[in-house]
Formats: sequence, C-alpha cells, structure tokens
Amino acid sequence: MARGIARRLLLSAVVATSAAAALPAWTGARGALQALQAQQVQRDDPLAALMSKVLEAESSGRNREAIDGWRKVLAAGAVVPGVLGLERMFSILAQEDSLLPVFDSIMPRFPREAQLRSAQLRTLVTLGRHDEAARAFGEWRDLQPTDVAPYRDYARVLLFHNRAAAADTVLRQATAALGNTRALVLEIAQMRAGLGQWALSAESWREAMAEEPYYESATVFSLQPAPATARDGIRTELRKTGAPIGAAQALAFLEIAWGSARLGWQGLAVLAPSDTVIFIWKQFADEAERAKAWPTLRDALVAIHKARPDAATALRAAEAALKADDAVTALALAREGAAPLDATRRLAEVLPTELEALARLGRAREAEQLVREAVPALGEEGVRRFSRTLAWAWIRAGDIAKARLALADAPLAVEDAVSGWLALFDGDLVAAKAALRTTEAPGQDVVTALSLLNRTTVARAPVVGSAFLALARGDSATAARRFEESAREVNDAASLVVTLAARIETARKAEDRALALWQRVATQYATAPEAPEAQLEWARGLKRRGDSAGAREHLEHLILTYPGSALVPQARRELDALRMGTAE
Amino acid sequence: MNVDHPLMSSSPNRRARRAIALGALPFGARLLGALLLPALTLAPAALAAQHLLVPMDEVQTNHLKAYGVTFSALVDGVRSEWLINYRGGAFLLPDVPNLRRAAALAGVSFEAVGPDRVSQMRREIAEGNMDAVPLEKAPRIAVYTPPDSPPWDDAVTLALTYAGIKYEKIWDDDVLDTDLSQFDWIHLHHEDFTGQANKLFLGFRDAPWFIQARDRDLAMARSHGLADIPALKKAVADRLRAFVERGGFLFAMCGATETLELAVAAFNVDIAGPFADGTPMDPDADAKLKWDRSFAVQGARLEFAGGVNAMSDIDGHQVNVPARRQPLGTFTLFGFSAKFDPVASMLVQNHRTVIADYFGVTTSFMRKVLKPGVTVLAHEEGAPWVKYIHGSYGRGSWTYLGGHDPEDPQHNIGAPPTDLALHPNSPGYRLILNNVLFPAAKKKPLKT
Repeated sequence: MARGIARRLLLSAVVATSAAAALPAWTGARGALQALQAQQVQRDDPLAALMSKVLEAESSGRNREAIDGWRKVLAAGAVVPGVLGLERMFSILAQEDSLLPVFDSIMPRFPREAQLRSAQLRTLVTLGRHDEAARAFGEWRDLQPTDVAPYRDYARVLLFHNRAAAADTVLRQATAALGNTRALVLEIAQMRAGLGQWALSAESWREAMAEEPYYESATVFSLQPAPATARDGIRTELRKTGAPIGAAQALAFLEIAWGSARLGWQGLAVLAPSDTVIFIWKQFADEAERAKAWPTLRDALVAIHKARPDAATALRAAEAALKADDAVTALALAREGAAPLDATRRLAEVLPTELEALARLGRAREAEQLVREAVPALGEEGVRRFSRTLAWAWIRAGDIAKARLALADAPLAVEDAVSGWLALFDGDLVAAKAALRTTEAPGQDVVTALSLLNRTTVARAPVVGSAFLALARGDSATAARRFEESAREVNDAASLVVTLAARIETARKAEDRALALWQRVATQYATAPEAPEAQLEWARGLKRRGDSAGAREHLEHLILTYPGSALVPQARRELDALRMGTAE
Repeated sequence: MNVDHPLMSSSPNRRARRAIALGALPFGARLLGALLLPALTLAPAALAAQHLLVPMDEVQTNHLKAYGVTFSALVDGVRSEWLINYRGGAFLLPDVPNLRRAAALAGVSFEAVGPDRVSQMRREIAEGNMDAVPLEKAPRIAVYTPPDSPPWDDAVTLALTYAGIKYEKIWDDDVLDTDLSQFDWIHLHHEDFTGQANKLFLGFRDAPWFIQARDRDLAMARSHGLADIPALKKAVADRLRAFVERGGFLFAMCGATETLELAVAAFNVDIAGPFADGTPMDPDADAKLKWDRSFAVQGARLEFAGGVNAMSDIDGHQVNVPARRQPLGTFTLFGFSAKFDPVASMLVQNHRTVIADYFGVTTSFMRKVLKPGVTVLAHEEGAPWVKYIHGSYGRGSWTYLGGHDPEDPQHNIGAPPTDLALHPNSPGYRLILNNVLFPAAKKKPLKT
C-alpha cells in the first residue's frame, strides 16, 4: 500500500506540472492543509473549520475519523474536497471500492466536474474495472466532445497504471476527435516512453519543452529507464537543431543517470554562457557531484568559474580536480581561488588543497615551504595536521627518510595508513598489514597491498617493499621488475606478485614482458586465483599479435577450466568477437 | 537405457582417443580430452546412456546459442530431439563430450539426464500438448544478401553468426544462375524485390552507399540481359518462388516479405515508379496483379504516389509514412497442438508468449489481405494486422516475420549494430532461429 502511495507521488512529480486539478488527491493532507490555509479560509466559516479539523485528523493518521469527516464535508456541499479527501483515505486503506457508491450518487449531479471525473477514472482503473472506466470516460467525452480534459485525464490514469497501449488508443481517439494533439503532448510523451518508443517519446518531450521549459525534470524521469540501445535515438532527438535549452539540460541530466556524465557535460559546455546557462551548469555540477563524476564536475566548475570568476567556485573546482586525480589543475585552481582572499581565509580554505595537490605531484619542497610560511599564523601545533600530507609528498618524491622526518613531530597511531605504507616500503609486512587493514574507504592501492598482505605469512620482504615504493614514486618499470623478483621472497603469494608485475607491464604496453609474465602465471600457478586472469590476458596478448587461433585456445581453456570464474562471461564475449571477426 | 540410440556405438570415443593420441586437437580440447579419456575408456556404456537436456524456459542462460549447440550436433551427424512445448521448446541431445564442450563454451545451460528421467519426460510429453520431434540433418542455409554486407545488417545473419550457425551468402547471380535446390532454407531480409530500393531514393539519392548499390544492381541486371533493376529483382523473386514451389523453405523478414509478394504477383506488370525504371507505373497495375502466384497475400493495393514511402497497403504500420505511421504495441504468439500441428508449433517455441513489437520497412501484415490458408503465428490483440505468418506453397513452405530487428524497435539507417551478447535470451530472435532449425525436423505423419 505504501508503495502504491509512493508511486502516486512519484507520478505526480511527472504529471503534476500541468495537472493542478489532480494534485489535491495526491499531495496528502499536509499539502491540502497548507493549501486551505493559503486560501485564507475564514476561521469562523463552519465548513472551513470542519475541513481544517478533518485535515488535522488525516495528517495525524486518524483515518476512520478523517473518513467520517470527509463524508460530512461532502454532505455539507463541498463535493470536490469531500470526494478527493475520501479518495486519499480509501487509497491509504486500500478500500477504493468504498468510493464507488459515492460516485454513483454524485456523478449524475455533477457530470461535467473534471476533478470528480478524474477521481472516478482513477478509482475504477485502480480497482481493475476497466470496462466501467472506459464507459465512464465515454460518458464524459460525449458530454464534452471538444474538450481535451476527458482524453487527457483518462490517458494519464492509464499511463500511471502502466497501460500504455490502452492510453495510446485513447490518445489516438483524441487526435481524431480534436484534430491535433497539441494539448496532449505530455501524455503522448509519457505513453511513448511506456511503450518503449524512446526516440518518439524524446521527440514529444522536446516539443513539450519548447512550450514549457520546466518539463526537463519530467523528461529525465520519463526517459531515464531507456535501455542502452535506445539512448542514441533519444540523444538525436534532444540535440536536434532548434531544440529548447531545456532539452539540452534534460539530456545532460539523463547522461549522468546513464553513467555517461562526460557526454552530458559536452552537450552543455557548448552553450554560450548567460545567467540561465550558468544556472543550468550549476545544477548540473550539483548532480555530477552527487554522482561522484569528478572529472565532469571539475570541467563544469571550471567553466562556471571562467564565466563568472569566484573564489568559492575555483576552490570547489580544485577539490573536484583532486578527486579526479588531476593534481595539476587542482593546484592551478587553488592558487587562482586564493588570489582574492585575505591571508586568514587563504590559510583556512586554500592551504589544505594546495598542499594536497603538491603532495600528489611529489613537489615536497614547495609543500614544506608553504607549511613553514604558515607557522607564524597557525603555530607549530597548527601545522602538525599537515604532517601526513608532507609525508606523502616526500614518499611521492621518493625520499622515505624525509617522510619519516615529517611524521616525527606528529607520531601517528600504528594503524594509520601512512605508517602502514612506510612499514610496507620497509618490507615490514606484519606492521603494514596491521596498519593498512583499518584504513577507511581504502583506494585501489590499499586494496592491492592488502590482497598481498592477506595472502602471505612472510613477515619481512624488502623486495616487495621496494616494489611498492617504486610504484608510489611512479617508476612503473622498476616496480614491475621488483614485483617479479619478489616471487622468491613471498612464495605463498608468488602468483599474485607476478600478476602485479604483469598488470604493470600490460599497462606500460611492454607486450613481450607482459606476455611472458602472464604465461608464467598461467602455467606455473595454474591453480592460483590469478590463473583465469592470466589466461585472458595471454589470449589478449596473442590476439594483439595477430594469433587468433592461439587466443581462441586460451579463451576456451579459461571457460572450460575455470567455469566458476567471474571472467568467463568476458572470455565468451571475446571468443565471439574472435569468431565473428569484430573488434571487442 | 535407450540401447537403440545411434550414439551407443563406441566410435566417438575411439575417434576422441585417436585424436588425442595424434595431438590433432587444439590445446583446450586436448586438455579436456586428457581429463575425459579415463572416463571414456573405463565407462563408455554409462556415459552414452546419458542425455543432455537443454532447457529453453526461463532457466536457460543463453537461448540463442542453445540453437547453435543443437545445430552443431546436427552438423556432426548427431541426432537430437526438439521437445515441442516442453520447457519452452527444450532440446534433448546425446551426452557426448563435444556437445558438453560446445555448450560450456557457449554458456548454454544443460542438465545431464539419465534413462529414468528421459522415460519420465517422454511419458509427460505423451500425455500433454507436447511432442518430441527428431532432428536429423543440418539444413543447408543460404542468406540472400549483398556480398559485402556485414552480419549486423540483417537480423538473421546476426542471429546465425552469434549462434555459430554456418550459412552461405547468395546474391542475384547465385539465384539466377545456380541450382537453388542445393539449399534447404533461404532467408531474405530487407531487399526490395520490386526494384525500387524501398523508395529510399526519396531521402538518400545522393548518399554514396545508395549510389553504389544502385550502380551495382544495374550492372547486374545488364549482365543478365535485363533492362533495369525492377526487371532483375522480379526475375530473382520468381526464382525464389520456384524454389519454394519445388520444396524449399523460405523465411523472410522486413521489406522482403511485402515486396516479394508484390514482385511475384506483378511478374508481367510495371509496378515500379519512374525513378526506378524511367517509366511510370502501369495505371491499371492493381487489377493486373496475379495473386494466384503469390504466397501469402491477395487483393493488396499498390501505393502509386512516388513521394509516399510505402509499397502497398499490406503493411499495417507504414513506418515511413508519417501520416499513416502506427505506434508499436506488443504481439502474442499463438499456441498450437504439438501433435497435430507440429510445424506451426515449432515456429512459435518460446519462453515468452508476448513480445514487444519492432519496426521494419514492413512491420506487420494486414489481416484483410491475407489468403485464407495462411496460418497466423502471432498477432497484436485488437489490431487489424498480424506479425508472424506461415504457409505452404507447392511442395515447400514459407514464413514471414514482420519488422527489422527484434532488439532494435526503432531501427534507423546508420543506427549502431545490435550486440546480441546483450540479448542472449531475446524471444524475438528465438523466432528467427526456430525457422532455422525446423527444416531439420524429421517429418512425422500427422495424426489426422
């Protein structure tokens, strides 16, 4: 039942834009109460007092009392509020059939009252009395043959109940009877989405937004479920020349929902900046932030900052750039954002971001200098909070001794991630494991390290440490070599360290080295968890060399030998691609 | 134990052992063979007594490739059975290593079933609206398609390629100059047999691909001593008609259905617009059409307006005529008696009975123009059109499925190709593959 109410509310978000008449029944007692107050109903009016009391009962969940009250309101002559109130209550109690006698008695008296007709149609369709609903619609339509309301309201009810094909019939009747569907463009858009006619639906939404730009949210809601294969059709429709700006906005939001935020921003970035466009960009940035689409967020904020320079936007963009792993842009933006700020605000708002960016870039000396300059304002104690950042800067710069020195004044708990990494670089696997396993929100680097530390019982492994240190410094060639060498050191995780070496060599496009390493994992450690990955990568390496038959053998071997591996579906895809001669 | 089963012979095991000994198999096969060799050597009888049941209901992980696995069995000369109306049209295959391997590679679910379970299934099938149809021989398949067309240009080549079913491509030269009886099954897709290139002239006359196709077809016509493309395509259509008349199976989709009907009925009538052959359509063409020559349609009316992108009133949806275009709905497969109407039953085997519709140059077939003997396999409830039809003609049979691509409802020219790996359970594509497999069925005498 709660789900049903939620669905109603959700639908109202879509159709309410032009469905003011239907709103009172769907917005709940609190909304109705506010509406009543907004209408400044006189307190001394007995009917208004009664309605206020009933609404109070309704919003307090005293359903039976509210039903009695709405019956009294109805009897007092306030037919529409009375019926809509009863509709709400019976809907909550899943007793919609109790409304049928009410409609039987009032419809002959108010046959042209659109809100009552709508409520009747909603009730009949909800109860599955489709024939009666069709008859009720027919009566209403015959009374007002040139009015769009009967078609529109009935189509909406049908769409709400996922009866898109039936709604289609009604809308076709409307077209025939009214001569055009201009007034029904929303319903047609929704109906087409319901039927899976995504491109046509997008076309209707585009037309709707040309008239009323605020339909972009409804457009997003309606088109979001489109499958991947239908999305290009939607894109084509919403990007058509002459499409309103709302179409571009809707498409951008759809792209975020579809996991392709970058495409969304590309559509908005080409718009010439104006107050409206910048407002849309800001909304898009908020949505991109919610979706954690950091590179896209960075780009949007940079564009906003460029059009309307503002320190807060620049700093927000700098943080987004850091999250997007783009320390160079982050540093530039942080410094740009700092320019108009006074010294106090710079220290509070800019320094942490600037230091973080410098640390990631391995520019430890500059970071240290900045911290030193902050001492007069923040004090020795105040700058200690930057010790970890400085330590990371030195680690990235490859100077472990200075990293330790940076931490010396601010001893960390043994569980701290930095001390964990330092222990790992030293080859102290036990200490590293103890510290790293408690890391909050571990990144890929921590996961990789822990996967090794959890596999091995070896306590000290200096070569492993040097491999991770080389990786932290960005020296991938050395890292790969060291990981390969470390197989002798960590016998019980040898397959993993060779796999790490192979992954690095693959990423470096060192094809021969990578292939040899994958081959080693696949043959020497055939029962290890890394073996399926090695088979897949071996196949890919052979395919890149033009050896399709060899690639095929290894893909088949993977599928048949490791049927439980998560890589099997991917292997099947690549096997198909080989067979069909298509690129994968 | 089914001792009469041809796979009870030990020859596959002997062959497998020999191949392994000679190192003739690929690496994966050698490995699997090595693993299986002891089992084959020690317990051949126990292994051969088993069957593989390939369920085709919702349990199946890859319906489309299941057809490919069954087809591969037929290619290897291994007899199978199609269990009509049993678990979505399941397949019963002998449990041999090659098939297990093929199924595992393709990601097709199967269940190893012993003799008791097979007997129980047979009892169940005998008692219900179900039947077990033996599949004996892999049909020889030809797809009528331009030589340079990629597999994704046509839903059938896409389905066949994805399922791993081999086929030959034939084009006008092959149809006109070779013996089509070498094929059991010919498929047509979106060719316009009236020779008007689906009236794409209206929108694409300057497109390089359109010009290239027109020049290619014109050269082909002249090489056969024919004046123009309409004459060429009508000659091809008539050869295809004769192929069915002599016992072939023909399956057509999209625009090939409607235009084949028109071309066959208009063998001696000019129904092509001036943009195609330089002369206007015969103004009395409607009256001159010979519907006794066509497969499915009678009394259809031609579209005479050159600017209207439609051929006739056969198609219910008229997708390329904005003012007539009808929205897509869903279509429902009919159920047939498996024992009394096995062909129609085979053609509608599916794990779904209601399928979302999809457009094509010809999307559907108006009921009012169908010949009385046509079997309607699927229709849209309440609509004046049907989706999927079948019938006999001479000693052969034909099947028409409206629409272009079951997983691309709106299909536009230039749209990205459908990736069937994303639709391994596509009920629409199953209809295509039912047609591929049904010519393999051994004809049983009807119980009427």
